Amino acid sequence: MIQKKICMIGDFSVGKTSLVARFVRQSFSDKYLTTVGVKIDTKLVKSTDGHDVKLILWDIAGNDTLTTAATSYLRGSAGFLLIIDGTRLPTWESALNLREAVTKQLGEKPFIMLLNKADLTEQWEIDQELIDEKVQEGWILLKTSAKTGLNVEEAFSELATQMLKV
Amino acid sequence: MAKIPLSIAKYIRSMWMAETIMTYLHIDEQDNLIAWGGYPQHYGLDNLATGKSAIEQINFLEGLLNLPHTQVLQFMRVKEGRCAHVHIIPLDKGAWVLMFDATAEHERQQVMQQQLNELSIFSYRQSQLLQDLETAREQLVEEKNQLEQVSELKSKFISTLSHELRTPLTSIVGYTKLLDEAEQADARQANYLVSVKNNANHLLSLIDNVLDQATLEAGQVVLNPNSCELKQILSDLKSLFFHTAQDKGLVFEINIPVTTPVRVIIDELAFRQVLINLITNAIKFTEKGFVRVTINWQDERLEFAVVDSGSGMSQEAMQKIFTAFHRESTAKTLPGAGLGLAISHHLVKLMEGELTVESEIGKGSVFNGFIQAPIAHSMNLKDEQNKRSQLGATILVADDSIDIRHLMEIYLKEGGYTVSSANNGDEAIFLAQQLKPDLILMDMQMPVTNGYEAVKQLRRDNFTAPIIALSGSTLTADKNYALEVGCDHYLLKPVFSKELLETIKPFLNNA
Repeated sequence: MIQKKICMIGDFSVGKTSLVARFVRQSFSDKYLTTVGVKIDTKLVKSTDGHDVKLILWDIAGNDTLTTAATSYLRGSAGFLLIIDGTRLPTWESALNLREAVTKQLGEKPFIMLLNKADLTEQWEIDQELIDEKVQEGWILLKTSAKTGLNVEEAFSELATQMLKV
Repeated sequence: MAKIPLSIAKYIRSMWMAETIMTYLHIDEQDNLIAWGGYPQHYGLDNLATGKSAIEQINFLEGLLNLPHTQVLQFMRVKEGRCAHVHIIPLDKGAWVLMFDATAEHERQQVMQQQLNELSIFSYRQSQLLQDLETAREQLVEEKNQLEQVSELKSKFISTLSHELRTPLTSIVGYTKLLDEAEQADARQANYLVSVKNNANHLLSLIDNVLDQATLEAGQVVLNPNSCELKQILSDLKSLFFHTAQDKGLVFEINIPVTTPVRVIIDELAFRQVLINLITNAIKFTEKGFVRVTINWQDERLEFAVVDSGSGMSQEAMQKIFTAFHRESTAKTLPGAGLGLAISHHLVKLMEGELTVESEIGKGSVFNGFIQAPIAHSMNLKDEQNKRSQLGATILVADDSIDIRHLMEIYLKEGGYTVSSANNGDEAIFLAQQLKPDLILMDMQMPVTNGYEAVKQLRRDNFTAPIIALSGSTLTADKNYALEVGCDHYLLKPVFSKELLETIKPFLNNA
């Protein structure tokens, strides 16, 4: 079976652990519990072209920059999910910086940007203009909600497909 | 360092091994697990099988074997909340993987990091909230500025409208009065005159009320409390309403106790207006019986009541009685705009008082009120006696309305004064320099050079005689500006003979 390591990258409290919990265990908790270090989970997915892929999910402690510890977690990663909290604009800037640092570390790898907390639309701080700009650059962006499950399966499945294309 | 005995080293090693719960895995160059030791179950590595793929048995090794340098993965969460530091050490052929328990250290770090992150989110939300508040404040300031501009426009509109309406009405009412007093008309013409006079007075009263209400709403009214003679005010009111009440067959009384002070400090105009509105209303809604005004002064408070035996009103009507433009259905056949009581209520409030109503349908109404009225000292009798008439003095009338100029000339000539006139500010300045009048009656809104500019120029030219502003504007700001540029008094149109002569007299006496 094909086995791929993917990393969850983003600032703290953007919902990386919640997205993994939704994806792997179909569960969600409103309580925020910060991640220290890394937590590894696995899940089988079918890529959009029908392959079974075992995803090894590395849920890395959030930070606005790439720490030395995080650098060692990244090694061997075939792709990553870049996550922002749509209700906190600064997490967008952090994501852009992290993406640059990760690319420097791993080389060009498939990634998808997830605009998480899409259920909190009334607190949304990310302008559509910013999103459109990245789409025009060829990025894949998805609005997700770990709370409602919006686009969570789709995000992982799409990343698996992108990784298999490489 | 001196040598440590082997037994001690062994003891320390066993302690350390127990504390770190170390596990080791040996992996060959084909990534197969070839040996293991320590406590792999502690880290969730159950059922390890040698000779099989290490990567398939141990998920976290994916992509990390066959790297040239030692890899250290700190705080890797494993089963049941446990945590390990993982070291992957490359060998010539294969690699070692060492795992050390870091659960306690992880817990400590987790508590600290949780607090830091929560604090950071809280600070961010707080800064956003402050930013929102600042935005809201800026919006409010912007709205306030816009409202102030609207208010200023409204004031200008009121001022202009007031002038435009009062000027022709001054002529209409003034000339009608003169015709009436001339007593040369026959009975039919006299009736026409009465009709013109009544309707012009009614129109004037409506305009006054609408403009007063607008001025009050714009917050432009500033009271001007002065020493005034209470009995004189009430006597005037009695004269004013006596005939109207008599025509309807009503008993009209004004009761004032002998203990009432002669002079009190109040805004005379405002107080008169309140009583005029209340009495007008009482007479209007009373078909038979009486209208009674009682006055009582106590502890620097002037209490008044207007009682009538009229139609009265319901509880519901009483709740709306002081609302502007509110008119009861029973009143809709009677003239009026529904402003008199609203204005009175507002004015009484401005005079630090209160106006209330009690009423019952068919049993009449009682309007009770009070205002602040400190006692005033009487005028010095000697000063009064020293005043002497200056009949024959020259008065310059400046007004762009020929009708008003003629009317003022008639009033002033009847008072024994010599009158010259100018139809704009420039002419007024020129004539003032030539004729050296004893007093100028200056309209403030004239073409070419308006009254304000003319007065400023005259005062700059050291013209020292009194100048009385004549204006149709009810705005306090306009009155204050007129006084500021050099006017000695402000007369509001329409002005009639008695009021005009009484106003100018003290200025000529003091000149």
